[in-house]
Amino acid sequence: MSRAAEGGLILAAAILAAMGVAIVEFTRGSWLDAQVAVTLISFVVSFGSIHLAVRRWAPNASSLLLPTTAFLAALGFVEIYRLDGHLAAIQRWSFVIAAAGAVGVLWLLRNTGVGVLRRYRYVLLAAGVFFLMLPLLPESWPIHGAVVNGSRLWVRVEIPGVVRALSFQPGEIAKVLITVFLASYLAERSEAMSTVDRTIGRFKVPEPRHLGPVVIAAGLAFVVLIYQKDLGASLLLFGLFIGMLYIATGRSFYVFTGGAIATLAGVAAYNSFAHVQRRIDAWLDPFGQFADAGYQSVQALFALGSGSLTGSGIGLGRPDLIPAAETDFIFAAVAEEMGLAGSLAVIAGFALLVAAGFGIAIRSRDLFRKLLAGGLTIVIALQAIIILAGVLRMMPITGITLPFMSYGGSSLLANAVIIALLLRVSDEEHA
Amino acid sequence: MNVALRRAAYAMFAVFLLLAATTTYVQAINGPEYRDDPRNPRVIASRTGKERGPIVTSDRVVVAVSKQSSTDLTQFQREYPFSDLYAHTVGYTSALFGSRGLESTHGSDLTSDRDSTISGVLNGILGGDTRPRGLRLTIDHSLQTIAAEALGTQTGVVVAIDPHTGAILALVSYPSFDPNTLIGPNAGQAGLALENDPDEPLRNRATDETYAPGSVFKIITTASGLDTGLVSPSSEFDDPVELELPASQSTIKNSDGDVCRNGTQVSLEYAFVHSCNTTFAQLGMDIGGAQLGEATDRFGFNEVVPFDLRVLASFFPSDGSLDDNLPATAQSAIGQRDVQVTPLLIAMSGAAVANAGTMMTPYLVYDIFTSDGNVESSTVPNFWRRAMSPATASVLTDLMEQVVVSGTGRKAAVPGIRIAGKTGTAERSGQPPDAWFVGFGPVEPLDGEQSIVVAVLVASGGEFGESATGGSVAAPIAQKVLAAFFAAG
Repeated sequence: MSRAAEGGLILAAAILAAMGVAIVEFTRGSWLDAQVAVTLISFVVSFGSIHLAVRRWAPNASSLLLPTTAFLAALGFVEIYRLDGHLAAIQRWSFVIAAAGAVGVLWLLRNTGVGVLRRYRYVLLAAGVFFLMLPLLPESWPIHGAVVNGSRLWVRVEIPGVVRALSFQPGEIAKVLITVFLASYLAERSEAMSTVDRTIGRFKVPEPRHLGPVVIAAGLAFVVLIYQKDLGASLLLFGLFIGMLYIATGRSFYVFTGGAIATLAGVAAYNSFAHVQRRIDAWLDPFGQFADAGYQSVQALFALGSGSLTGSGIGLGRPDLIPAAETDFIFAAVAEEMGLAGSLAVIAGFALLVAAGFGIAIRSRDLFRKLLAGGLTIVIALQAIIILAGVLRMMPITGITLPFMSYGGSSLLANAVIIALLLRVSDEEHA
Repeated sequence: MNVALRRAAYAMFAVFLLLAATTTYVQAINGPEYRDDPRNPRVIASRTGKERGPIVTSDRVVVAVSKQSSTDLTQFQREYPFSDLYAHTVGYTSALFGSRGLESTHGSDLTSDRDSTISGVLNGILGGDTRPRGLRLTIDHSLQTIAAEALGTQTGVVVAIDPHTGAILALVSYPSFDPNTLIGPNAGQAGLALENDPDEPLRNRATDETYAPGSVFKIITTASGLDTGLVSPSSEFDDPVELELPASQSTIKNSDGDVCRNGTQVSLEYAFVHSCNTTFAQLGMDIGGAQLGEATDRFGFNEVVPFDLRVLASFFPSDGSLDDNLPATAQSAIGQRDVQVTPLLIAMSGAAVANAGTMMTPYLVYDIFTSDGNVESSTVPNFWRRAMSPATASVLTDLMEQVVVSGTGRKAAVPGIRIAGKTGTAERSGQPPDAWFVGFGPVEPLDGEQSIVVAVLVASGGEFGESATGGSVAAPIAQKVLAAFFAAG
């Protein structure tokens, strides 16, 4: 697919978002207004600028990524606009900022390529862990952690007279930094880690010292789980570690060990943390706890069922009845108003994005790039799977955003940087 | 490494396929179940946000109306202008608490839900009437208001019926509640407070609660005795200070603890007028448990009364348990022991006496009218059952008239109108008695003259407490309703 087609498809996604906004306006009895134009402009400016940056600094990159991203962002934005016009206005600025982040990444790496990141491996790790731990800052500091919906994920900056309550989720950026570190670390060690010295039963077992990273992975994920009470982020981090270890070594041992550790940790968490127990109980029987822990899950199922095949139509459903519809449960809002057609389009969009990402990884020439592209793709795939499976009640609900679709600037920025890095790696496969 | 990448990619695809399959199941296959779940707020919102037809009284006073929202023209909000006055009959429809009363039982008449059917849609396209229909009640607003004022803040019930048709003319149950509070912004709090209120304001005590009838049950005992030919008003009974019950230590006394008349002999008529327990306990034993059970079944005990609202079945042990148990039969014959009755059935029993022994099916909806005011269907008065023979009804009417003229029911008398009635004071161990009155007028109405039956229950003695009797507490309330009815003509 050519660059020109990419530009055309981005324009199509921008028109899709603008038309969605127009439909919402129609259902409210008003005619075309500035909201439609502003939406069109913000999509063209944000995704168009990434497109132009790619033309200039990564001309050989895959042209699948951007249009798919823009398409998913458009579907999500229409529902955010329909739910809360004020949040939608903020989200439009977030698109622009996220695009600036992506353009910035493409510009920074224009001459050096992603290879340069290997040099700053430990700086990136330190930054990643720092960001991950940032929400633990005490409440009394100007920059401090904040608890939202029971999870300590947020950092709030409040400097009297200067900054008035700026909030962000540093964990979103941390996951990108940690992925880059892991790719770099594993690229160097993968050979050693995949050598086989002994076997236990059917499994080929690496040297015990090579198990270090798995233990660290489990440990970090568990710290996030315990101190920040964030099931989704810990699951994402853990899955990312295990996935990258598997890609680096090709040893299914890591996957099974990781699975076993996750299961044990899950059982332990169920027995020791009340909030984990509540979530799992609500998952097993949401209707039994209709008014309480199961409320959100049940409301999501009502929305999905009410949407049925064709949906209520944009602006004609009641996604406002779903708690957190504009963030974690944006999929349920799309499913209610756009029906099975809309929800399958979302799933297909993510599948396409993940396919493109793995394709980039497979075509890349060196280990680092393969691991980087594979790891970044896993981040997007796991986020989508964790929250979609939660909404669909295939697993307990863990608070995590749906990439590109949920309301939230931190998540948009981090995922835009992921796309930029994937574009960068993709461009270099032809080098 | 590429092998691992490919495997990882395939694993992810498998999961995305599973997600697609699951969402297809949840939305398409299992979707209707979630969509139509009564707990789905969309279902409730589509029911409550829609326009509902008005409900008016027989004298065309609006008691429930849908007001169009000023901000969203497709949304309507239900309003009940008389707050708690019709809470137990009209009920409510609320997004949080569902619906009750006629709002529930006549929900499909009051909404235009029929428009979602194919014929409804066609009707809408062809310009037919698509707006919801309204209900006109049998209740008379002025009579309802007077009944509620007469009862005041005493826990109890006032039911007024047209004995010849079964039309409910007034139905008051206190304590009541304001259905508007279940709709407004604080509906959740208000609803929980009502549900947890120990006074049970949500309960319609006329239909949804049963009480020991006490002496008003003597109407049925007497009807049974007269119907079987066992006694006549002049039949003589012994007049003891207390009636010793066979094969037991129990005795039955009169309410004043004295003889009924003079300690020798007393006629059934005298005993009825002065509500003597000793005489009717003896009569009950003479009739026998089985016959008494048959009589109560004819009066609609142990059966659910067909009505626009939910009615509890009244209870009399007509299952054979009284057959060899004379003491229980004696106590049951004066409306004590296990006998339990709804105030509605007591009103209907009075109506049966006034209507030559025939019990009509009670009803609340006079007619259903379209949005342009045309009557679509009217309720046709319906025979429910024969409670007693016309001759027995005639004799009972005479006896009951004597009660009001010279007996325990004198406080129900209305000057210039022949009123018949019966009092009851249901003793309860450790608590003030429940006071009853059921009466009707006019006795022997002229052609075309309107009749009315009024039943009153004041629970736990009302304002009189321990000293309450049916004659002192319940009869004056009935008198006010009867007087208002006849004053209005």
